[in-house]
Amino acid sequence: MARNWALFYHLIKKNNHLRSVLSIQQLQKSYGKRKALDSLSLEITEGAIFGLLGPNGSGKTTTLGIILQVVNKTGGEFYWFGQPPSHHQRKKIGAIIESPTFYPYLSARQNLRVVAKIKEVSPHRIEKVLTLVNLLERGDDAFKTYSLGMKQRLSIASALLADPEVLILDEPTNGLDPQGIAEVRDLIVQIAAMGKTIILTSHLLDEVQKVCTDFVVLSQGKLIYTGSVQEALAGNETIELKAENLDHLCEVVRRYPTIKAIDKQSTHVLATLQESDKLVNLHQFLIGEGIVLTHLMTKKQNLEQYFLDILATHA
Amino acid sequence: MRRLIEIEWLKNRHYRTFWVVIGVYFLVLGFVCSNGKQVLAFLERKGIKYEQFKPTMLPIYDFPDVWQNITYMASFFKIFLAFGIIISITNENSYRTIRQNIIDGLSKKDFIFSKVGFIFLLSLLDSTFLFLLSLLMGFWHSSVTDFRSISQTIFFIPAHFLEVCTYLVFALLVGLLLKKSGLSIVLLLVYTLIIEPILGAILLREHDWVARFLPIKALNNLIPSPFPRYLFQEIQDYVAWDAILIVMAHLVIYIFLCYRLLAKRDL
Repeated sequence: MARNWALFYHLIKKNNHLRSVLSIQQLQKSYGKRKALDSLSLEITEGAIFGLLGPNGSGKTTTLGIILQVVNKTGGEFYWFGQPPSHHQRKKIGAIIESPTFYPYLSARQNLRVVAKIKEVSPHRIEKVLTLVNLLERGDDAFKTYSLGMKQRLSIASALLADPEVLILDEPTNGLDPQGIAEVRDLIVQIAAMGKTIILTSHLLDEVQKVCTDFVVLSQGKLIYTGSVQEALAGNETIELKAENLDHLCEVVRRYPTIKAIDKQSTHVLATLQESDKLVNLHQFLIGEGIVLTHLMTKKQNLEQYFLDILATHA
Repeated sequence: MRRLIEIEWLKNRHYRTFWVVIGVYFLVLGFVCSNGKQVLAFLERKGIKYEQFKPTMLPIYDFPDVWQNITYMASFFKIFLAFGIIISITNENSYRTIRQNIIDGLSKKDFIFSKVGFIFLLSLLDSTFLFLLSLLMGFWHSSVTDFRSISQTIFFIPAHFLEVCTYLVFALLVGLLLKKSGLSIVLLLVYTLIIEPILGAILLREHDWVARFLPIKALNNLIPSPFPRYLFQEIQDYVAWDAILIVMAHLVIYIFLCYRLLAKRDL
């Protein structure tokens, strides 16, 4: 479902001019001499699931803090829906940054009542969002008695309370068990399918790969990569081959016309084909050359490797 | 404004610690202010006498004296209410809910106004309580109960409102500035009871007019001590205009400083 959404999104994006949800221009933040953000610019359009990636201390949370106006910027501009920022817009944005933040002595319902009053939405929404995150039964227990997973879910419920157009989730699966991660991930895709824009930070790249449509990579407050997840992963299939005689295999594969790259490892050969070609053709060719393979496997490049490569080239 | 006060009410309504502190204030205040006669009887048993007058003969609950007597006594206990305010603001900081409130769509100005609005309401509740208590004690003990005597010095009640309100906003400022509840409470206590009296005494000797502008001194000048009159000394039995103006100016400055502090801060 997640991948389908990404494909669908890019299809619409190509064919339409989507409305700008958030536009950041030359944003700066300094703490004394240290630059936490160094002229960051980015555009987020309607319907995107936008991943904000980067190692710890790269400026992700600072960026979120500034666009939510709890951190004062040192320079630059940003616009929500093409307008200068105001607290009225924030009522229409659902956001939780860093850990779930609630009054520990109040129950989930009482906490959400405070949020509803701030966002000026009807308290009827409270039951709806509690149902969505499956907290209906524990809704009257004090927040401090909740497990981490329940706290995260309450965060998402709170962010969804005003039925916002934009959802900002900072490490939404932090500290969750695999089942919890899967639940939250499904929830995110489900929310995105309602046409909401999601801005997400996560250090679990596998996750970003599964749900995001676009992503940027920050390092030391600078933007070092921006693009769609699809593009980042496209055309990067590597083929792993093994045969009795590796040297011979290597020689023959090298002669194959559409070969793009070849790398001989100690136990196997890694090859990349041009995008137009198919794996079957290579296999046919090898059979014709009288080579019997003992191992044949394709490996899709993952975002994690890609991310580490990007960081390495900018180090 | 109503919405902002409601927000603060929703936060505090189910917070036991807050209500315990507020409850202690009202209990102690009610107890002390209604037992003046018992204190005087105790003094009498100890054999304290002033010429032919016995302490129990003192008309401390008579109209119109009762207003000044009770509001003057109450000013000693306002620090309990201040503890409640400090706990409420420093909690917002330690739970980081102050940041979440802003993220959710409260402006920083709204946040301060929601706290200040709640302080107004609390001070109003406190003033109403004192008004009813004074009225009750007056009707119970007073020999005169005509309207003129009752209403003559009733302005000590609004003066008390201004005093408590300003002190609580001062406590809000301290809590916002220092962030930690323990530290804020200790510092407020030490400042109110030790630092300023010493500072005031030093300044009073040479620069009388400066001392009047000190935060606590300014508040104390609103309701001067009424008790020397029972020793046949001259007292000030009215609220001075300049004292009101100074305290009002303080109140505005404190609210403004709270806002500036929050506006400049990265949460």
